[in-house]
Amino acid sequence: MEEYVGELWHKLVTRVANQQHVEATVSLNEISKAAAIFFRALGGDAGLNLSAASSTRHGARRSWRDRLASSGERVELSWRDGETLRLPEKIGLFSERRLNRDLYFWLVALSAADIDDNLPWIVRNQTATLATLARFPGLASRYFQLVEAFLLLRTLPSKLPSDEAAQELAIRQALQQPGSVHALPKSKKPFQPVQLWTHPSPPVNTGNKVSTSNGAPERESSDDKPVEKSRRRHTANRTDAPDGKDGFLMMFRAESLFSWTEHINVNRPQDEEEDVESAALAAEDMDTMTVARDGETNVTKLRFDLDLPPAGEDDTPLGEGVSLPEWDYKKQAMLPDYCRLQECLSLQAQPCELPPQLQRTARHLRSQFQALAPTRTWLKGQQDGDEIDLDAWVRQETDLLIGAHPDARGMYRAQISQQRDLACLLLADLSLSTDAYASDHARVIDVIRDSLFLFSEALSATGDRFAMYGFSSLKRGNVRFNRIKCFDDRYDGLVRGRIKAIKPGYYTRMGAAIRQASTLLAKQPQRQRLLLLLTDGKPNDLDRYEGRYGIEDTRIALQQARKLGLRPFCVTIDREANEYLPHLFGVGGYAVIRKPEDLPKELPLLYAQMTH
Amino acid sequence: MKDLPFYQAQSSEAELFERAWRNNLPLLIKGPTGCGKTRFVAHMAAKLNLPLYTVACHDDLTAADLVGRHLIVDGQTVWNDGPLTRAVRSGGICYLDEVVEARKDTTVVLHPLADDRRILPIDRTGEVLIAPPSFMLVVSYNPGYQNFLKGMKPSTRQRFISLAFDFPTAAQEEAILVGETNIDAMLAKRLVSIANAFRALRDHDLEEVASTRLLVYAATLIKDGCEPTLACRAALVETLTDDPETAVALREVIDATFGK
Repeated sequence: MEEYVGELWHKLVTRVANQQHVEATVSLNEISKAAAIFFRALGGDAGLNLSAASSTRHGARRSWRDRLASSGERVELSWRDGETLRLPEKIGLFSERRLNRDLYFWLVALSAADIDDNLPWIVRNQTATLATLARFPGLASRYFQLVEAFLLLRTLPSKLPSDEAAQELAIRQALQQPGSVHALPKSKKPFQPVQLWTHPSPPVNTGNKVSTSNGAPERESSDDKPVEKSRRRHTANRTDAPDGKDGFLMMFRAESLFSWTEHINVNRPQDEEEDVESAALAAEDMDTMTVARDGETNVTKLRFDLDLPPAGEDDTPLGEGVSLPEWDYKKQAMLPDYCRLQECLSLQAQPCELPPQLQRTARHLRSQFQALAPTRTWLKGQQDGDEIDLDAWVRQETDLLIGAHPDARGMYRAQISQQRDLACLLLADLSLSTDAYASDHARVIDVIRDSLFLFSEALSATGDRFAMYGFSSLKRGNVRFNRIKCFDDRYDGLVRGRIKAIKPGYYTRMGAAIRQASTLLAKQPQRQRLLLLLTDGKPNDLDRYEGRYGIEDTRIALQQARKLGLRPFCVTIDREANEYLPHLFGVGGYAVIRKPEDLPKELPLLYAQMTH
Repeated sequence: MKDLPFYQAQSSEAELFERAWRNNLPLLIKGPTGCGKTRFVAHMAAKLNLPLYTVACHDDLTAADLVGRHLIVDGQTVWNDGPLTRAVRSGGICYLDEVVEARKDTTVVLHPLADDRRILPIDRTGEVLIAPPSFMLVVSYNPGYQNFLKGMKPSTRQRFISLAFDFPTAAQEEAILVGETNIDAMLAKRLVSIANAFRALRDHDLEEVASTRLLVYAATLIKDGCEPTLACRAALVETLTDDPETAVALREVIDATFGK
């Protein structure tokens, strides 16, 4: 009973106190793509990701309702670092939806202004406001509407103690007349958050930031509970996993009540949290989430497969391996001979036939693709052409002489050449993430395997030259490049056997694989050379090859491929690919297959569209 | 002399063109679509008072389309000059627009014209035309990445001197808009600011970016009384993208410039 009453009370007071206008709330998901493009159009760094900011405890005075409900003590602020632009996950500050949406775009515009990060916060924001309004005068009316609506929500200076009032007045003046305030007066309590401004750095700066989505590939458990997609990021507080020796220090801390946020090196197996929802709630409430570099987050539930797959022994290395460079975007420099790539061939492959379940589709594809096979013919009786069609002319002259009705056909011959001067290299991602289930029946790797089968069936019908390779990596010294079919191999039972033998490897060092594939493809004499990349996610590896580093390296590798006259194209089943693929492949340079099980059929058709 | 088509010089391209013409050198102009390549050639042809023969190249363009072919007239075959042959005979400028679109075997007929021989052999008639000093061969292409499947044969390319065009600087582009459509300078400034915002999206969100030509279209609509945001949507946003979310972002840029 007590609990029941408590719950009711909680609901009541939070509803009273909640300043967020739920019905007018705009979420980042709704506008993220447009906002990202807007950001880039205004001159923002094209390599930045857009994501939700973590909420921060602001520590400022709250209204009595908020205090009663113990709500309103945290706020999501906007800021950006070298990799990401962070915006609030939802904005429901104003009662009008239009204003909330405008606030998003205002924050994006403000973040795009290139202002010295070292200026004091209040000066920097005013400078950015002035610069933005000067470049985009049309924003002015919306900005002042936002300011007007925003000031109504702030506590009046007359209701604050004098030091806080002075601060509040300065903020108000800076908002209304940007550029007029040169310093923020000091006060004992922090000021109320200013949601119209951005922060130059993470609001709570507690050491190194570790993205929650890096490191080892995540393995989805089969009974995956649908967790509402939350783009929010938790401020990560990086801690080195304490070894047992220092552990006792914590015991002497005065406030040594173990709370969720402290990192304790307990040898706890990563069993799944029974009550996922409560764990998720607890995580939402935390200030900082402690993540050890080699450990796991407790954000929701992630399981890690620490058994490395037994790929190594089954492959025969071919040759010595090659050294490849890698692009370091932080240094803006190419690191020569940084990766070691080993081409290898599966040992276990036995010649085999096409799996029976694919045979029908394969027959169908073959007959479709035979129509694309090259021909070079002279067409007779054309209205226009290089040569005179003497037969047609003689016939017409004869017709005229004998008084018959002349045929209105053309009298030229034209040569049409449908020669397909084309080579294609297909590069398949064989990282560990392909071990995950793509649908109820098949793992990603199975889908990729079927795709390779059908792709080779279709291409062997056209007579186009093609090669197929798979890749995976384990740090920079061990990039595995599995040869399935090189350009000179015939498509036969042995190749089918190698397709059958593909299995998930380790990680995805995409740049190195693309560089090697480009080298192989660039040696082909054909006029059109297509580098087709088949993948299920972002580039990543165990070392620093993750996030922006991996993306930028891949981007440079692709630029080099284009310079060699190759045409890269990416086919992915990663639904979030729209966030990073445009940066890598450009518009029209990639295709996202929503239903992975459609990939085997879609891939040959995509190929036909691209090359016809 | 005819009226000179309006052309706002970007740098010393006109001088270079004249020098090439005087010294019998063929010229290759490369640059994004709508940045003024064709206008420049038309301007120079008028300035040098030469006839201009323009050929828009396409996949099916054959050597016969350039050089000429036999036609049948009244039971007789009659030779009919193609634009290239006509330009050589009359000593004019032959301008092949988007030359990479043409098949590589087609462009080979340009080779003897584009080096110091300056001749055009016509196989079908057995003629060998010697180009007069005033003849000039100009080709252009757009190195944008939608054309990366088609490059120019190096042996063709190395016969030309090359001139790279890009979109004009903001001040020049404003001058072009004012010169073409007579809109006021403030409006021109805002249109150019929008175009430059869109150009930042090149290769990333947009396949092709706003050309000067599109800006002139927008300015023309505005000059005609169209409301600026509407004109920009019609001339710029909808022309550049089919993706609804990209369109939303582009409209935001326009609203941010003209106000809402």
